[in-house]
Amino acid sequence: MSNAIAIAKKELNIYFATPIAYVMFTLFVVIGSYFFLRLLGAYEQASLAYMRFQSPEMMNRLNFQDAIFRNLFGNLGVILIFIIPFLTMRLVAEEKRQKTIELLYTTPVTPGEIVLGKYLACLAILVIALALTLTYPLLVQFNAGDQNGVEWRSVLLGYGGLFLMGAAYMAIGLFISSLTESQVVAALITFVVLLMTWIIGWTAGEAEGWVRDFVTYLASVSHLDSFSKGTVDLKDIVYFVSIIVLGLFATNRAVEAHRWS
Amino acid sequence: MIEVSHLVKSYRDLKAVQDVTFKVEKGEILGFLGPNGAGKTTTMRMITGVLPPSSGSVKVAGFDVFEKPMEVKRRIGYLPETPPLYTDMTVRAYLRFVAEIKGVKRAQRESEVDKVATQTNCGQFIHRVIGNLSKGQRQRVGLAQALLADPEVLILDEPTVGLDPAQIIEVRELIKSLAGKHTIVLSTHILPEVVATCQRVLIISQGKVVADDTLQGLQRTHAGALTADGHPGPAPSLEEIFLKLTSA
Ligand SMILES: Nc1ncnc2c1ncn2[C@@H]1O[C@H](COP(=O)(O)OP(=O)(O)OP(=O)(O)O)[C@@H](O)[C@H]1O
Ligand SMILES: [Mg+2]
Repeated sequence: MSNAIAIAKKELNIYFATPIAYVMFTLFVVIGSYFFLRLLGAYEQASLAYMRFQSPEMMNRLNFQDAIFRNLFGNLGVILIFIIPFLTMRLVAEEKRQKTIELLYTTPVTPGEIVLGKYLACLAILVIALALTLTYPLLVQFNAGDQNGVEWRSVLLGYGGLFLMGAAYMAIGLFISSLTESQVVAALITFVVLLMTWIIGWTAGEAEGWVRDFVTYLASVSHLDSFSKGTVDLKDIVYFVSIIVLGLFATNRAVEAHRWS
Repeated sequence: MIEVSHLVKSYRDLKAVQDVTFKVEKGEILGFLGPNGAGKTTTMRMITGVLPPSSGSVKVAGFDVFEKPMEVKRRIGYLPETPPLYTDMTVRAYLRFVAEIKGVKRAQRESEVDKVATQTNCGQFIHRVIGNLSKGQRQRVGLAQALLADPEVLILDEPTVGLDPAQIIEVRELIKSLAGKHTIVLSTHILPEVVATCQRVLIISQGKVVADDTLQGLQRTHAGALTADGHPGPAPSLEEIFLKLTSA
């Protein structure tokens, strides 16, 4: 375990020595803020309109949580699809290309520790990126006072869902990075795979019966949505956790097998 | 200390290493010679466990490299042909990391890093980013990395490549000073280096061992014909022996 921590520290050292981490944080926050401000603007207009028509029942139905945060988390989830390939692309591929993997193979570190250390490092980047966006609910909370304030339970569940989804995406990215020596190839394939988990949900509407349920289950975004609605189901957690476990296991095998090539 | 027996490595139809067998005793420095493509790097990678052999076995300190890999890794310091450096890290951060994964205790880590940096003359550029260093400087960082945690066995693949004349002499002195306590296998194309540092010479050519002897032993075997008045001819240089054995 201490070896995994050492590897994680090394990866973080490299993330912050190169612009990758900073560029990712900036992109995440800038695009996230854009969506947040647009959602906020739309909400404001809607509530003004309802107020003008003096329809209190409409007013009540306009749920702040649904209007802003549920949509915001959906949008942040999509941004993750675009930035995670760039975070995971170099993790194993670059070690192979630069032959630094020979150093790891000749020191008393197991493949499992290598994989775990690398995974922990990118999870840390994910946590920081998500923490930066906590400013949105905090801003709303400060301005709203206590009436119509933030439903923190749903917001935090939404963050939990985003974290699990990002973690699953990273496990996929890490695995793909362990299959090639080229960072560009790793990033491209990861991006396509992540995009597939998103757009496969669109085809669900065309299908029927169990196929429809199955396709919906495969789509990552549907699982994220149940978190931000505040209605977490065990099946959503199982979905993300099984992707993580599978991804890490497969990466471990790929790192072990690389020596035999 | 190192026992290599009947080692074979084939890449598809190319036999890179064919039935190589040799031993290195504790405290010995073995010079590992051979023309380009002879299989030196391939053999060294199999000794360190980076590359699995097609057949044959390697034991380091009595442990089989593939049955007890952890025991072997704890005892080995390896400088590969391309120094395994993270170009985005500073020399100090890199050496600290290697010390950590080699299991150097936190309390000794700094002093251990300083020690190897001094031994390899990395002191002046220890705060710089590895990607900005010159080839020779990087080679020295690679050597420093191999020396970390004071391993019993050192496998050095062309340790002096890219170094300036003064550094070559210093690295030679360093390697000589490590003899006795450490067992060293070093490959090189600089024959005077072998004469200066190694007790034994192993020459391979096209994957096969063609000579395994002390320098004096080699000179005796390959001495020229007796001169007219019955005295032995002049002792051949290592260069002459090398060319004779590898030209076939
Ligand atoms: N990964 C590989 N795939 C196929 N062939 C390889 C591979 N690695 C090495 N070889 C071949 O194996 C042979 C031995 O290579 P090796 O690198 O061991 O030579 P060397 O003695 O270290 O040479 P040099 O003095 O140039 O460093 C060469 O013919 C090389 O082309
Ligand atoms: Mg070589």
